[in-house]
Amino acid sequence: MQKHRSSETAASVLRPTTPLDIGQQTQRQRIIDAMIESCAEKTFAATTITDIVARARISRTTFYKQFEDKRACFEAAVDYSIEELGGIARSAIEPEDEPADASRKAVSAVVEALAARPGLAQLLTGDAFAVDPLVIGRYRKAMIPPLETLWANGNGGGKGHTDPRLAFGQAQVLILSQIASGTPERFPELLPELVYLAVSPFGGHDEAIKQARLARENEATGAAR
Amino acid sequence: MTNDPEDLRQWRLPRGRHGLPRELVERSQRERLLAAVVRVTATNGYESTTVGDILGEAGVGRESFYELFDDKLDCMLAAHKILVDNLEERVREVYDTPEPWVDRARNALAVTLEWFASDPDAAKFTLVEPGTVGLASREIFLADFARFINLFDAGLADGPEPELAQASTLAISGTLARIYEEVILGRAEELPRLLPDLTYELLVPFVGEEVARAEQERAASLQDG
Repeated sequence: MQKHRSSETAASVLRPTTPLDIGQQTQRQRIIDAMIESCAEKTFAATTITDIVARARISRTTFYKQFEDKRACFEAAVDYSIEELGGIARSAIEPEDEPADASRKAVSAVVEALAARPGLAQLLTGDAFAVDPLVIGRYRKAMIPPLETLWANGNGGGKGHTDPRLAFGQAQVLILSQIASGTPERFPELLPELVYLAVSPFGGHDEAIKQARLARENEATGAAR
Repeated sequence: MTNDPEDLRQWRLPRGRHGLPRELVERSQRERLLAAVVRVTATNGYESTTVGDILGEAGVGRESFYELFDDKLDCMLAAHKILVDNLEERVREVYDTPEPWVDRARNALAVTLEWFASDPDAAKFTLVEPGTVGLASREIFLADFARFINLFDAGLADGPEPELAQASTLAISGTLARIYEEVILGRAEELPRLLPDLTYELLVPFVGEEVARAEQERAASLQDG
């Protein structure tokens, strides 16, 4: 069907790989998706292999063919979520965007994706920290170098303002608080703050406020990012 | 530091025979268990801690434990509440004063950093371990977070008006994220050294670049002096 095909195309743009065995890849992905959804519902601590195989509609044997244990599956789900959001951020920006604009666009796209799939946000800001608090190092490795490159190549900014590592922790706590209050559909309300956090380490407070305001206006008018 | 028996960080086990009345012994059994759950959980992690471990550390019998608490989580939550109450009280002492807001905010930050630095076990127990208790973790996080945002906001009445709607949330989450990180890296004791940088981060969304920089320098000179 038309709809199905177009969504497949979009996914392959984000993850341009040619899987050797499509069947196995899909199974693996189904298990990862099941892990994400189960964690969102009952947290990693309470999730069992039984929960995952039931959700993914696969056998235990299949599960253990793909993953050594629950923890290994969780790690794969974290890696998948980081890559997924990274891809969404990259595809939201144009090469000619100024660094501050690019940051705003990338954050807006990521927030939209999280609102559509709050399980990803729950996994990355809640459970991932419960399982291994040092996971924040992985997020930073995925996100800070691209941001630094962006600012190094662009005009203006680039001088150190706030610590970008701190901004990550802040964003995590902000998103977690929205999830904990059971209102993930209100993620977009956090957009100005999250844009501020993404811009301020490199562009400084004034530029960050400017971008946060722009993000809020775009959000309010539903204008294109 | 106070000698308040409710301050778990000061608590020491009374040893040997004593002629204390029953109510007092029970009270002190409760306190011993609360102090024990903090130490044991901080060392072993919540998941690996058993009621038996807590009893061993406290020198209290299993029957007495179940007279006082429903289970491990109940005991942990009771200790958590005492610690967070204590932190809030300390912060309130310096934040609910007639001084200018910027000074009160910096003092509140300083007290918070010192509180976490003074007992790394209690810091880990208060901040990191609640994330690992399953679904209850979301409620704990949300309640604690809301408490400190409300406290911060209440004291902002005569303070500057920030451009961002959720500036207080940013301020609290930034401080929390940084303390969290130092605690998991085992550097809780060095937290007070971060006062100048965190003062800047805390203030900049409220007072802008220039004032925040000046306050950062002032905090550094207060620290050296």
